[in-house]
Amino acid sequence: MNLTGIVVLLSIVASGWCFLEHDSWITVELHHALATNTNEFSFRGNVTIPSLNSGLSNVAQLPLTPGELDTLKALAKQNEFYRLKATVVYPNGAKTRFLTSNKACSLLQAHLNDVLWISLDPSGFVTGVTASQDASPGASGCTSDEINQLEETHFNTDVLIRHAELAPVPDTAGFIQKVEREREARDRGEVRDNRGFFAKYWMYIVPVVLLVFISGATNQDGAK
Amino acid sequence: MPGINVLAGISIALLLLSTCSALYEDQIKKFDWRSVHVGALKQSRVDLNHFQPRLLVSTHEDVVALLCPKTGAIMWRQVLEQKPRGDIKLLQVSGFSVDSSETAAAPIGKNLGFDMLTVQGHAPALVRGWNTNIGTIEWEWSIMPLNSEKAQDAVWFYSNSILYHIVPAWRSHLEVTGYFASSGHSTGSTSKIMASWITKETCTLSGTFYVCVDGKQLISLDLVSKSTQVIRTALETEPQGTIEAVEGLNGVVIVDGKLVSVNKDQAVCTALQGASYAVGSFNYRKIVVSAGLTSGNLKIGAVYLDNCSPVPELQQTLQFPEHFGTPTLNSFDCKLKRNGDGKSCMFVFSTSAESIVAVQQGKVRWSREESLANVIDSQFMDLPLADTEGTLESEMKGKAGDIASAFLRRISTQAVQIRSLFLHVIGLGPPPTDTQRAGLVRDSFGLHKMLVLLTRNGKIFGIDNISGKHHWQLYLPKVNSFDNAEQMRLVVQRTAKHFPLQPLCAIVAKNSVNGNGVLYRFNPITGLATEGGLLQLDFKIKQLSLLAETEKDFVKGILILDASNKVHVYPQHATPLANGMYLYTADVKSAQLEGYFVKYAGGQLSCTHIWNARLGGHNSEQQIIAVAGKNPIEHVHSQGRVLGDRSVLYKYINPNLVAFVTQAPDATHKSVLNLYLVDVVSGSVIFSMTHRKVRAPLSIVHSENWLAYSYFNEKVRRTEITTIELYEGKAQANSSVWSSLQAPPMPLVERQSYIIPAIVEALRETITERGITNKHVLIGTASGSIIEMPWHLLDPRRPIASTTQGREEGAIPYIPELPLPTESHINYNQTVARLRNIYTAPSGLESTCLVVATGLDLFVTRVAPSKTFDLLKEDFDYILISIVLVALTSGSLIVKHLASRKLLKQAWK
Repeated sequence: MNLTGIVVLLSIVASGWCFLEHDSWITVELHHALATNTNEFSFRGNVTIPSLNSGLSNVAQLPLTPGELDTLKALAKQNEFYRLKATVVYPNGAKTRFLTSNKACSLLQAHLNDVLWISLDPSGFVTGVTASQDASPGASGCTSDEINQLEETHFNTDVLIRHAELAPVPDTAGFIQKVEREREARDRGEVRDNRGFFAKYWMYIVPVVLLVFISGATNQDGAK
Repeated sequence: MPGINVLAGISIALLLLSTCSALYEDQIKKFDWRSVHVGALKQSRVDLNHFQPRLLVSTHEDVVALLCPKTGAIMWRQVLEQKPRGDIKLLQVSGFSVDSSETAAAPIGKNLGFDMLTVQGHAPALVRGWNTNIGTIEWEWSIMPLNSEKAQDAVWFYSNSILYHIVPAWRSHLEVTGYFASSGHSTGSTSKIMASWITKETCTLSGTFYVCVDGKQLISLDLVSKSTQVIRTALETEPQGTIEAVEGLNGVVIVDGKLVSVNKDQAVCTALQGASYAVGSFNYRKIVVSAGLTSGNLKIGAVYLDNCSPVPELQQTLQFPEHFGTPTLNSFDCKLKRNGDGKSCMFVFSTSAESIVAVQQGKVRWSREESLANVIDSQFMDLPLADTEGTLESEMKGKAGDIASAFLRRISTQAVQIRSLFLHVIGLGPPPTDTQRAGLVRDSFGLHKMLVLLTRNGKIFGIDNISGKHHWQLYLPKVNSFDNAEQMRLVVQRTAKHFPLQPLCAIVAKNSVNGNGVLYRFNPITGLATEGGLLQLDFKIKQLSLLAETEKDFVKGILILDASNKVHVYPQHATPLANGMYLYTADVKSAQLEGYFVKYAGGQLSCTHIWNARLGGHNSEQQIIAVAGKNPIEHVHSQGRVLGDRSVLYKYINPNLVAFVTQAPDATHKSVLNLYLVDVVSGSVIFSMTHRKVRAPLSIVHSENWLAYSYFNEKVRRTEITTIELYEGKAQANSSVWSSLQAPPMPLVERQSYIIPAIVEALRETITERGITNKHVLIGTASGSIIEMPWHLLDPRRPIASTTQGREEGAIPYIPELPLPTESHINYNQTVARLRNIYTAPSGLESTCLVVATGLDLFVTRVAPSKTFDLLKEDFDYILISIVLVALTSGSLIVKHLASRKLLKQAWK
């Protein structure tokens, strides 16, 4: 029994994030299918999220037995999907089932490290659960040699929560304030021209240059 | 300092606005056209004896119009309120009252206080009197029924200046109220007639009689008579279908193609047999005309009503084109003053393909294609190459062995070409093919295309996008749109690029009888069925997708997911290409998404359920109101955006990203609208955003790395547009291959909202061949105009505080309201009534995008978002430039000659 308690703090800038008005907790039961063409899912572990707003989670997962690891490797050799069933249980006992899949090969290449994304809707209900692996840069396909060498049996799962965000509204107030500020600044005579030199004085420069050209041309004629 | 910045910003804005190319006056209708429609016929009244012959129609699209009986052209048209408020219940033309026995022979234009009268809607019911000469409302009154739910099934009839409103309470009673037609005053109290036998399916109103079927008898009530006596009429057999009233005959119904009278004052000719009937007068005698379709021939017959003797002058049979569908005689009229040879009689038919067909003297005089008022899908198809170019093309495509043989082949082809040109000149060449004779040959810029339009009732049109000519039409009877609010689909299986193979399109629909799938393959240039044409599938279609082209015949196979989650491929030989395909389904009602993976192994197709998502909230109260994917033919030219500091922000270009919008009423926020961006291969919800106090109508457009959607903000009562751009960041995860299973998990999301001072009905992005041209968003408004909005103005990165960085990047400072300058209305004054959708397609020119806007009307044009940079102006002066060139060259030669002579002379001096 391996207990992996991972604490993940969402270190994302809070601006634009929509936190739930009524925080709650959920638990997620994970079952996985290690063979194709089967609807038998075996138990993988449990995830408890005590607070959706903070996104903290406790993950407890069973390690793979050697037999299970072999079936997973067989799955990877066939380039098949590793399917994961997540049953979300809400505080009121309601259950919803989610299914997510990934290539068995990339799970093995990532040494059973995966990220469980839980997406929430604005009122705190789960819309989707997705397991994904970080793309391993050097790995190119699943050759049998590479896979046979892998011996990792413990899942290492990060749980990340994706909140729904609040949509922007047309910023009329900000725009009016900006216009007001500008008008005040103009009234106070604080307007400073910050255009480039040429942009500011082109109307003087162009005639001068023209004059120079014309006089140059006439001079040449005169010289001849 | 900020003031100047604003000035600078505004000047940039003006500069950008000036790039919206407006039309010049002489360009009007040069490359755009509009066709105007009225919709499927409901009631019509042809009147050839009026001082100005007229055909008054009311339609299922809530339109009242006056058509010219000679040509079918619209004299005037009034587009009324949308359903249910505008639903036209009755069209009553003065002089065509139902119950006066001399109806048809009555003098026309008898003053009844109105010229034409319409009744619309049920709560409130609007009664309007019209001036039919110019199409204006002269007066109007309305009534609000006591029980608006019951009033939904209400019927109206007009008799002796009184308009009767009949509200049935099914299986209970009828409530009859009379109103003076032109004033709206009630004639008395509402009378309740007990009638326990009435049901919605079995009853109809025939003149003043309310007739119901009850087993082998008809039970009817005369609603205007003093005594409410129940009349029972025995029938020979139990009726198979529903009963229908005959307009103009009081108390006469059609039962299984035969006339039955329940009115003892109205005798009918029981021997008549026909599909549809109409009553009118001929040679000052009242006649009944019957019409029916037998093996492709339309038979029109007539009898005098008084003695049932046939009218030989009106007997006629004509070939009725199949694409019109089944005709129903709607009305007819004969000119009274002509010698009674029946040649002046005109019969107006409405058909199951929603056409209006006018028949005169055994010929189709004119027809109107009103199914075009409900276009649901469109494709622009390339035209075939000209024959000579075609042979050249096929030579070029041949696998070249070595340079010498390729050169020889090229020379021989050109020799053949020269020979055919010579033969053509002296008039001995091979005859041109049909399509070439019709002028359907690809032009050098790819601007001339075949516009294939699929309409809601299963009629398909091939229309020239330059001239607007209907080259062919097809009618698929008994097809329907799918369940789950999904329309029929028009898919392109092979484009015109694979000469000599013909292009191939397919319609995927639902059989309206058994609900199974239907596939119809046809050639979009000729409109003829190919590959076996109609194919009835033996399963229900849940989802479909196109596969890659096969190598053998370049056909894109159709991958279909059926109701029991099995997959099928048509044509069968494309099946191996389905291996590794992903499919998703979205249930609109429960807002559940399911993802599937298709595998082909050992000759067997299998489908595995790999993910699901629930956007419905806890009790599935959220419903999907829009799904927006990207155009599969889209090319993204630029992978990133250059920032002010010359670094690159890479775009998040995920071809599998689909936007879903859900809506539900909410306790605290009135109504909530959620947007979800879902990767439909991995099933990952990439991003979600919520709007409070916001509701439909919603239009959405999704392209490249951005999306824009409009909605109605209930709090401030205005339409707003929110735009989103997705970026991967300053580094790109994988620049060559995109894999949704190994995707960067979290794109950067830029977002902004704008106010738009119009009601948005449709949004669409412009699309070009290579994606180099700027993207503009076409906004269709409720007033029928189409506005071309540059993406610069919708850009969510427009900075609020104008900074140097923003200016370096080329972003315009943020202004909350979007400008709608008149020069960006691409359809100038050619408004599209009830605009519903806009479709775009690339042309052969990178600068130009072809546009078709559909609604009640059809508008076809082309736009050049970055101006026509690859095309000379059409007023380019070729003569002047040739003269200048010739003059300059010859001048320089002459001057050279003169100069050498002068030099020589000088040397001799």
